[in-house]
Formats: sequence, C-alpha cells, structure tokens
Amino acid sequence: MAIDVEACYRRYGPMVLRRCRFLLRDEERAVDAMHDVFVQLLDHQEALKQTAPSSLLHRMATNVCLNRLRSERRRPADSDEELLVRIASLEDMEARTGAVAVLDRLFGREQVSTRTIAVLHLVDGMTYEEVAREVGLSVSGVRKRLRTLRAHLQELEAA
Amino acid sequence: MPHRTPDWLLERIALGELPPEELAAARARLASEPGGLERLAMLEADDGATLAKLPPSQVAAEVERRRRVVEASRSRSASTPPRRWLPAVALGVPVAAGLALLMLFSRRELPEESRPQQAVLLETTRTKGLEPKLLIHRQTAGAPEPLADSARVRAGDVLQLSYVSGGRPYGAVLSVDGRGAVTLHAPESPAGPLELKGGTVPLPSAYALDDAPAFERFFFVTSDVPFDMNALMESARQLAREPERARREPLPLPPSLSQSSLLLEKGPRT
Repeated sequence: MAIDVEACYRRYGPMVLRRCRFLLRDEERAVDAMHDVFVQLLDHQEALKQTAPSSLLHRMATNVCLNRLRSERRRPADSDEELLVRIASLEDMEARTGAVAVLDRLFGREQVSTRTIAVLHLVDGMTYEEVAREVGLSVSGVRKRLRTLRAHLQELEAA
Repeated sequence: MPHRTPDWLLERIALGELPPEELAAARARLASEPGGLERLAMLEADDGATLAKLPPSQVAAEVERRRRVVEASRSRSASTPPRRWLPAVALGVPVAAGLALLMLFSRRELPEESRPQQAVLLETTRTKGLEPKLLIHRQTAGAPEPLADSARVRAGDVLQLSYVSGGRPYGAVLSVDGRGAVTLHAPESPAGPLELKGGTVPLPSAYALDDAPAFERFFFVTSDVPFDMNALMESARQLAREPERARREPLPLPPSLSQSSLLLEKGPRT
C-alpha cells in the first residue's frame, strides 16, 4: 500500500503529534518523534493493508515515544511520567527474555510490545477488551501478556 | 468503561474511523458528557493549528530526508562484503525447548572462542595480558552461535552477551542502534554496580533485537577506577545521534576508559 506522506500527515499528523506530546510532555521532542513515526510508516508501507490506519499510527507513536523515554532515561518530572518511564523500561526485561519475539516469530504474528499494551491499559485507561481489539490479540492474550509482567506491574497499578 | 470518553476514542470520533454503529454510539456518548462536544471542537482547532504550524509539505520533506538517511545507512550495510557465518537454523522447535535452552545457556559459563569468529577488540588501550572483550552468541535451535564483528542479524534474534573483564575491575555494556537509541545492558541501571567479575561472564538475561534499522553496535567499556555512568550514557547518546559515526567511530571517552565494540549488521540473513 503506497503512502502519500503529505496526505497521510494532513489527516493523521495532528493526532500523532498529540499522542507524542501526551507521552513526551515536550513540544520539540514530540515534533521530532512525530516525524519518526511517519518514517516508520513509510518503512512498513508495503506490508500495510489498513485503509484506516489511525489505530496503527497511535500504536506506532506510542512505541516511538516509549523507545525515547527508555533511551533518554530522564528523571521523571511527576508520577504520571514516572509510570510511563517505568513502563518504557519494561521492554528491556521483556526483550531480554526473548519469549515474545520467539513466540511471535513462530506464529508469524506482528509483534505488539507488551509495554504498548501496558500503556494502553494503565495510562490510557482502556479495558482489556478495548486493548485486545486495538492490538489484535484476544482478551486472554492481553491478560496473559500483562500477567507476565505482573510482578513489575503490581506496584505500577497501585500507583 | 470509564465515564469520560477517553482521548483515543475522541480521536477516532474526529477521524470518523469507527464502524458506523460504534461511531454513532460514541458520538451520542460524547454529546451527553459535560463539555464533550467542546473537547471535540478543541481537538479540531488543534488540528488546524498543527497543520498551520507544521505545513504538510514541510513535514513530508523532513520525513523524506530522514528516510534517506536510514536508507543510505541500510544500503551501506547491504553492500558490506559477505562474510562466512554459520547457517541459520530455523526456529521450528518447541517453544519450551527453545526457552529452556536459552535459560540453561544463560546460566552456564560460555566457552571462550579462539577462532576468527570471536568478537573483535577495538580501541583498547591495554597492551599486556588478557584484554577486556565482549562475546555475543545467538540463540539457535542447536548450539549457541558465536557472532563475529559485522555478523548479519535481524530483528527478533535472541542474543546472549558475555564479557571477559581482562582484569579490569569496573565496566559497563551498552549498545547503540541505527535508530539512534542507546540501551544499557550492564549494569541494569546507570546507578547500578560497575564491578566486573572474573572469567567469562554472561549477562543475567538474553536480549532480543528490535526492529531498529541498519545495525546494532555493542560497546564494552572498562576502567581501573569507578566512572560516571551518566557521562558514559551521554557520550553514547551523542554518538548515536549520527548513525554513520555510531557505526564506525569509538565512543568519545576520557583516556582512563578502555572500550571494545562489536558491530552487528541488521538485515535479512542469507
């Protein structure tokens, strides 16, 4: 599916920027991340089949921002940002186990990061059902993903 | 369901990207909420402000510029002369067995390699005795595969990192990728202990490569005295901002710190 960046940005850019702004809390960093989201979109254009990619772009923006939060390792400004930074760092633990990557590869699935799921559930307030529909997993799949991080998430959920 | 229409749903309402029945229900719900329609109007006003501040042609040009940088980095990666590596083994094994292997593997001391496939040591200032070095093995269905400098890897590959301190008491392992991200592997946080152990020491957990493009370069930084991890991370971030430099150049570090690196080229395996 060929992407017309200009048209795509005109329709979805403001939404992507708002998402980046919400997660990064800084206009300049948000604009920078927003550009990278569209670079990634172009990168995957041949595999894209969706005609209404708001959901995909929302997830991509979430992921790009979490990567930045993880690599920047800034001191969180408040408890909300602390929650995000801690979720972002969950990827390290998840990635090192290799379990998700192996499972996704075996079953030929697009990998949806558990930390993205965590943000949708814990930060955006989506229910398990809403998250499941958003990321294309079953409800039990979402629950299972979060259960694997339970020890880490318990204190986050209590926050 | 939360009382207030969540932001993500508000975005879908504004874009009209919901199935018709859901869209109608979401609009009705929003209209019934105090300030709901005002939120929608503010969002649409913000759309206009964003497009005025960052015009589509300008954004498209910047996206294209960034993409060219990534593509150029990839094509340089693809033009690297092919090297010998072990044939990839399909992961057609039971998951449990694979993970059990990984766990077993991560708990055992890794054999030291003395063949050319061993990690290449760069920029190390020590001249006597055993040199500090980094070893990387890829999980396969069979024996772990040692990766040489410039080995070809791809997203999802599960790697086990190990170090040999070479007598250096303090050190850290980190990586930079083609997307400019810096990942600290050891210690687990910048405030963590820098003390190194003797022998060949596998890091506590394996690591799965993400989809960052072009390359992943691992650094092993060692010292005779404790050092400032935050300064090291900042140095890595500076280097990572320029992917072509990050691929080749050493970390800008004070002379008291030694470093070795191992570059993994990202792309399809052949």
